[in-house]
Amino acid sequence: MRFSMLPKVFAQMFKKPWTNKFPAKYIPPSTTKFFEDVGAGKAKIIPAVETPEGFRGKIQYDKEKCTGCKLCLRVCPSGAIEFKEKEKKIKIYLARCTFCSQCNDVCPSNCLSMGNEFLLADADIYSKDLIVE
Amino acid sequence: MTENKQLDANGISKYFKDKFKTNIKKVEIKKRTAGSKKNEFVNIWMKVDKSVFKDVIKHLCDLQFPHLAVVSGNDLGKTIELIYHFSLYYGTRLGEISLNISVDLPKSNPTIETICDYIPGALITEREKQEMLGIKIEGIPDNRRLFLPDDFPKGVYPWRKDEKGMEKMIRNLHEVKK
Amino acid sequence: MKEKTTSKTTYQLPIGPIHPALKEPVMFEFEIDGERIVDVDVSLGHVHRAIEWTGMRRNSIQIIYLAERICGICSISHPMAFIRAVENAVDIEVPERAEYLRVIQCELERICSHILWAGVAAHEIGFDTVLFLTWQMREKVLDLTEYLTGNRITKAILTIGGVRRDITKDHHPKIFETLNYLKDNFDKLRHIFLDDKTFQLRSQGCGILRYEDALKLCAVGPTTRASGVKKDVRVDQSYAAYGDLDIKHITPDLLTGQVNGDVYDRIIVRLLEIKQSVELIEKAIDQMPSGDLVSEPKILKILATIKKTNGEGVGRAEAPRGEVIHYVKFNGESEHPYTWKVRAPTYNNILPWIPMLKGEQIADIPIVAASTDPCISCTNRVAVIDGNNNYELNKEELHRLSVEKTRRLMK
Repeated sequence: MRFSMLPKVFAQMFKKPWTNKFPAKYIPPSTTKFFEDVGAGKAKIIPAVETPEGFRGKIQYDKEKCTGCKLCLRVCPSGAIEFKEKEKKIKIYLARCTFCSQCNDVCPSNCLSMGNEFLLADADIYSKDLIVE
Repeated sequence: MTENKQLDANGISKYFKDKFKTNIKKVEIKKRTAGSKKNEFVNIWMKVDKSVFKDVIKHLCDLQFPHLAVVSGNDLGKTIELIYHFSLYYGTRLGEISLNISVDLPKSNPTIETICDYIPGALITEREKQEMLGIKIEGIPDNRRLFLPDDFPKGVYPWRKDEKGMEKMIRNLHEVKK
Repeated sequence: MKEKTTSKTTYQLPIGPIHPALKEPVMFEFEIDGERIVDVDVSLGHVHRAIEWTGMRRNSIQIIYLAERICGICSISHPMAFIRAVENAVDIEVPERAEYLRVIQCELERICSHILWAGVAAHEIGFDTVLFLTWQMREKVLDLTEYLTGNRITKAILTIGGVRRDITKDHHPKIFETLNYLKDNFDKLRHIFLDDKTFQLRSQGCGILRYEDALKLCAVGPTTRASGVKKDVRVDQSYAAYGDLDIKHITPDLLTGQVNGDVYDRIIVRLLEIKQSVELIEKAIDQMPSGDLVSEPKILKILATIKKTNGEGVGRAEAPRGEVIHYVKFNGESEHPYTWKVRAPTYNNILPWIPMLKGEQIADIPIVAASTDPCISCTNRVAVIDGNNNYELNKEELHRLSVEKTRRLMK
């Protein structure tokens, strides 16, 4: 056939777009203000696509369980983990984290796990959201 | 390309040993299995003397036209070791043999002949070895640098682990202004 | 290649390092006679990242994740080759189940990469509707990858001596749903690529790589198979579970009965390989034995064994673009490798560009260059970065610089 793509293109015109328009249908002038409005109940958010089971998102750290064995520091490929000598606890800089979850595997006391949170973009790499301790 | 009868690992080792006698310094055959049927895969590690290196490649081409994957290099202190990773008898189901031919070059005179006349595809990797290890390839058709920029300091070779390596340069980046 | 044949009738045309037709930085210098290419020179090294150098300062577990980042698309193949090199050097046996799981992950990656390439190839000849169709399909595969591994691109699934996540019966419905979707859409894709007049006009008889050239220039992957050289690590070697599965070399004569070695043949090879990969995944799931996932669950024990090892190893794997080979040497003193050499497939597919491009027209440069599925970042790895200039710009500084530039322009 000469133009085998045409039927597909016409069919597509009457279908819903594949993209999930997160967080709003049109890009808001200020994303921060938009989220503030959502928080105050003034605007509605289009929910994100759900993360599957076993998704590797923001690291969760159970500080109580941590024994300070430093094994995670040895295997972390990007050196995102810092050891706090005084407290004998760790501090994870998510700006460097590669989400490989190798630290979860190696941890003998199971104090690390991968969460579901993935909206981690920030202009400041040392912001409070990007440091887990 | 002559299509001879396929030799097995011992056959290949014998083939070279008969031809080059003591110039083949070491032959090691490593076999490993994989999968639930435990099919075998053979790796041959062969160390040859620099004087016969080109001849070895010529005889290798007589077996079957080999596929040269890459040339890798080690800085072993007094010598530089080049390892040519070939694969032989590809195209047959589970028949491939990986042949790694290594040759030692003294650091005082790190030169080796080009194999581009037998295997033209070796050019890229030979050019890379020249700039990374500071060896000289005699008769290479294209002598330019490959990956390193033209204004990279002369006499610095990233893969060397001696005074010609990069350690000094990395510590003093402000001096080289690179 | 080196000596220029400049005369009054030819002129020079540099393309790259940054050019809309090229997706990654590589520099071509063409010698042009009218519209025809007389001579080509390729220069590389614009995206050196010193990965091997960095790797020699890390332990083997850390390198797996570094190897994954050599190339975004081959994020299974590079760790796979590295892990095989380490396993060969240290002599670690891999459990049978892990070998099958590795095959499934490798083939999912191949499907992703080939569909992505098909889209890019369509885009290079200006057929952008096909680009969106292929990326729709790819999205499904990426969703499956995310479901099986937890990440979309850098899967972090392989480890020394096995794999890190299992595929259980619970995963099967989603896997088969995606595979069936792919099978349904595969025929559509094949029809569009192989029967459409636009594709035929642009790709047949264009960018020809002859059998002898492919062999002598040591080309790898679909590029060499499209020229009739039967070279596929999955078939030739017994690695992972490929030795158990029924797998054949894919050459264009399977479909058309002849080998031309042109861009069209490379499209055929890649499309057929998508189908082959889907079948391989089905077979692997079907035949998968039960058993352990890793040979040694304690990572520190593996690192301790590596530290004691004095030896070298080579690992090969068939990436979507061809053979990847990693060489590792341990000196028995540290857990960092003494030498780590990476050879990405595009490294060997650079020289074949020259016979492919010679004699072609300027308008064919993008599609011929793209037909080897080049991955320049893979190829360039070793360099010294940073220097006099401060590359770490923060938000304020960037904003200030932008404002300054705007003011300057408005003067």
